[in-house]
Amino acid sequence: MSDSSFEPKIVAFVCNWCTYTGADLAGTSRMKYQSNVRMIRLPCTGRIDPMFIIKAFESGADGVLVSGCHPGDCHYTAGNYHARRRWILFRQLLKFVGIDESRVFFSWVSASEGKKWVDVINEVTDTVRSKGPFTNYQKLNKEFTING
Amino acid sequence: MADIISIARGVFENKKADILIGYTKATSEGRTRPVIVRSADEVQNLVLNSSCLNNLATYLTRKENKGKKVAIVAKGCDIKSIVQLIAESQIKRENVYIIGVKCNGVKRSFEGEDSKKIAEKCLNCNVRTPHLADETVDMSDEGLTGKDEKAELIEKLDSMSAEERFAFWEEQFEKCIKCYACRQACPLCYCERCIADKSMPRWVESSPTKRGNFAWNIVRAFHLSGRCIGCNECERVCPAGIPLSLLNRKMVMVAKSEFGYESGMSADAPTLIGTYDLKDKEEFIK
Amino acid sequence: MMRIGVFVCHCGENIGKTVDCPTVAKEAIKLPNVVYSIDYKYMCSDPGQNMIKQAIAEHKLNAVVVASCSPHMHEKTFRKACAQAGLNPYMCEIANVREHCSWVHDNVEEATKKAVDLIRMTVERIKFNFPLSEIKVPITKKALVIGGGISGIQAALDIAGAGFKVILVEKEPSIGGHMSQLSETFPTLDCSQCILTPRMVEAYQHPNIKLYTYSEVDNVDGFIGNFKVTIRKKARSVKENLCTGCGLCVQKCPIKKAPSEFDEGLANRPAIYVPFPQAVPNIPVIDRTVCTFFKTGKCQMCKKVCGRDAIDFEQKDELITEDVGAIIVATGYKLYKIDKKSKDAAVKGYGEYGYGKYKDVIDGLQFERIASASGPTAGEILRPSDKKQPKKVVFIQCVGSRDPSKGFEYCSKICCMYTAKHAMLYKHKVHDGEAYVFYMDIRAGGKGYDEFVRRAIEEDHVKYIRGRVSRVYEKKGKYIVKGEDTISGVPVEIEADMVVLATAIVAQPEAAKLAQTLGIPYDKYGFYAEVHPKLRPVESSSGGIFLAGACQSPRDIPESVAMASAAASKALVLFGNEMLEREPIVAKVNENTCVGCFYCKKVCAYNAIELKEIKDKKGNLVKVVASVNTGLCQGCGTCNATCPSKSIELIGFNDEQIFYQIKAL
Repeated sequence: MSDSSFEPKIVAFVCNWCTYTGADLAGTSRMKYQSNVRMIRLPCTGRIDPMFIIKAFESGADGVLVSGCHPGDCHYTAGNYHARRRWILFRQLLKFVGIDESRVFFSWVSASEGKKWVDVINEVTDTVRSKGPFTNYQKLNKEFTING
Repeated sequence: MADIISIARGVFENKKADILIGYTKATSEGRTRPVIVRSADEVQNLVLNSSCLNNLATYLTRKENKGKKVAIVAKGCDIKSIVQLIAESQIKRENVYIIGVKCNGVKRSFEGEDSKKIAEKCLNCNVRTPHLADETVDMSDEGLTGKDEKAELIEKLDSMSAEERFAFWEEQFEKCIKCYACRQACPLCYCERCIADKSMPRWVESSPTKRGNFAWNIVRAFHLSGRCIGCNECERVCPAGIPLSLLNRKMVMVAKSEFGYESGMSADAPTLIGTYDLKDKEEFIK
Repeated sequence: MMRIGVFVCHCGENIGKTVDCPTVAKEAIKLPNVVYSIDYKYMCSDPGQNMIKQAIAEHKLNAVVVASCSPHMHEKTFRKACAQAGLNPYMCEIANVREHCSWVHDNVEEATKKAVDLIRMTVERIKFNFPLSEIKVPITKKALVIGGGISGIQAALDIAGAGFKVILVEKEPSIGGHMSQLSETFPTLDCSQCILTPRMVEAYQHPNIKLYTYSEVDNVDGFIGNFKVTIRKKARSVKENLCTGCGLCVQKCPIKKAPSEFDEGLANRPAIYVPFPQAVPNIPVIDRTVCTFFKTGKCQMCKKVCGRDAIDFEQKDELITEDVGAIIVATGYKLYKIDKKSKDAAVKGYGEYGYGKYKDVIDGLQFERIASASGPTAGEILRPSDKKQPKKVVFIQCVGSRDPSKGFEYCSKICCMYTAKHAMLYKHKVHDGEAYVFYMDIRAGGKGYDEFVRRAIEEDHVKYIRGRVSRVYEKKGKYIVKGEDTISGVPVEIEADMVVLATAIVAQPEAAKLAQTLGIPYDKYGFYAEVHPKLRPVESSSGGIFLAGACQSPRDIPESVAMASAAASKALVLFGNEMLEREPIVAKVNENTCVGCFYCKKVCAYNAIELKEIKDKKGNLVKVVASVNTGLCQGCGTCNATCPSKSIELIGFNDEQIFYQIKAL
């Protein structure tokens, strides 16, 4: 079903201290990546609520990335560990209700990993582009707009 | 062993509790219903048999019962939810007098074909003898059998493609009328204001739209992940017939396989959410 | 009614080249509640900031969105400008259209579209911002210094000298660190002990310094200005208040053959020992792993000879808590040990140099001990194997350093200088000896440093060979060093009597663990990360935790001392304030809806969630809810995501802000 002109909408929920800063570094180093991603800055991966992912799909996202500090590097000591446990559960739940694993991604990108950020974004964008638009979820959204 | 009526009388005579939550006969044949007993004079109508389907623990967190010393008739599975409520600071152990039921399994349903089958949750029960109780009572009914059809369905769903699974749930969730009976029956859905009722912002559409239903059912299952003890009350009370236990059971399986965790076994053990292990799996994280 | 202004910065060409800023500004004004938008070449400049201030006044703006560089760069600048115009600074938000847009994309159309999207998301978010004011918390004006080497001593002395209390924690039985092991120091060749010992004594005797030796930091709670530190004072087996340091126990101890840590294994020490004669404090410690009494239950010789009854075999580790406002980490370095590698060691190379196999192949610190007057040879240059004077010594630089293929990528920085010093010391002591140095480049930047190396070459006739050594092997009591002289392009083979390896400077093996205890970041080698490499080189990214010396990267003594004084001054800047102003990004509980499940408390890393009883008018307990201690809350928001009913929210990143930001996708 993939449409050659399809450009996926991708949301990245990132922590302020590692991934956001790593993405800043990619910028200061003038590295290039695909422009599909829209980033939302949170203080910590611990703040990233599974509701955000649902809301992102409700808002038309075709793919979601969650990224933060590597284990041991959390600015707030343990936010990423709590987040990791949450994602282990939530990921399996999403999978079970039929939300493809190749639409929800997780990564650890540190403040010094500008290159990794670039690679992750390109990989996520390419994967989601090849999956095509998330029509399943967008169908749910459509019904909502008809009924008010 | 003493029967439920004499045990209940003893509870009041020995001032073990202010009220007792138990089962009594309902008006329809074969049914029971929850009853709150307030004195020794009212105990004669209490019953205990394989038609005692309700998980009475859900009444422990009701406002009117807070602060009281409550005796409760609880099967092993129900006791798991009591344990979980203690672990989540909702009730205090000393405020609940547990009349644990030695149970051979309850019916799948009050009526119809299913009333002859054993409930699926009873098939692999590890708490037929209560794991936490102040005294125990025997439920003598025996002889119920049946297949674990839901386990087969979970396996089938797991083997489907994401698209097929999505279609399956889309069809199921479409039936949801947002009556929240699942929430009402669940002993662990005790929030004063459920996220589904929060309006600023409204994470879950309030009307029963496709996407609102999808969001609600995902959130419900997620909020019970690592907490649900599998009493299956949500599914039993769902008027739309959504197989909610599939979601809960799947997450119970995930908690077990990913963390070796089983909820409701000990009130002192760390809860699954709220703790972490440095060795938690992360092969899915790039 | 929200009146939002959008200010689009060109950042010269940095944004303007890939993002069509005038178009972006035109699109922005179409957004609901945006009443003003403009683009300008440099928003952060004075005229740019003035444009914002003027617009706030003229257009009665109550929220400002600046589309510019990363908030990490100029969020503060723009918030300050807004505050000067009378707008609450927290009503200003940044849309990052430089680092996350113009710099990373080439296509103008795409980048422009993305910039508009980012602004729209920020505009939707800011509608749910509300004015906030800074949180004020008191400061404990006392510092903890971790590590009693020269950096730690210097930092402690500076802070103590300014009149504040200092806790100095050292894991070894004595302070002094690696500097106490050195013979002479470059580039002046003054004796290391002679300049260090007075500092050690000064730190010991300073009324403002409390010294914990043979102690480690077990746990750190709290935050800038208000840390609670747990120090583990390891069992010394000697009562410090009774011991006079007479040394009788050390003399009488029947165990004599434990390798001396101080002498880098080149000499032995007893089971009860003082690491070196000038140790501070001069109190022995029992090494329980070798002591006969601890192994067999018999002996107690030390106890028998001690006239003060200071020996305490029963002594246990003691946990001490201290409240401090600032922490200086000065835990130093280790030398890379070629022979001692765990299976998962990052670097496995250099077995070909024979270290650990041949006694006369030693590392830099071992040479320091041989050259030191207080060392095992009393300063005479004698090789370890047969205690003979080596007539030909080969020094190999960059063993492990600057070697991406099998070692570490970084330069260990101090080896060029200390190798020159070693060669020079050798020549001064063995006049007829020959010294060869294999090097990659000579890095002698520093005051008097290049002159020092030249002196080694020109006056002391040390032979420098540019090239790497491929192999060292033994042949009839000599060590054959095979290498290449890359300048003349010929293979070189030297028959040496001793080989000295300038092995890489590496982080302490426990560095990562301590970093996790402190909550500070570290690089892949275990060196602690500074918050900004140029402008904030001694601050970690955790407020109130500062870095000094070689724990941050390889450093020589003057640099370590300078860093230590800099870190001390950072602590003193903090102590110069009565109250600390903190960003008001903290969690807040909705007591009406909180049901008291306390999952928030379980996930809080700062113990910031407390229990609060809600009572009715008659004083009856209605319920117990969560309550946030805003002094402890650091604003991570983990509680917010965990709370099932969303009854706790993080101010500044609350659910509505994020919800509408997502919705505006």
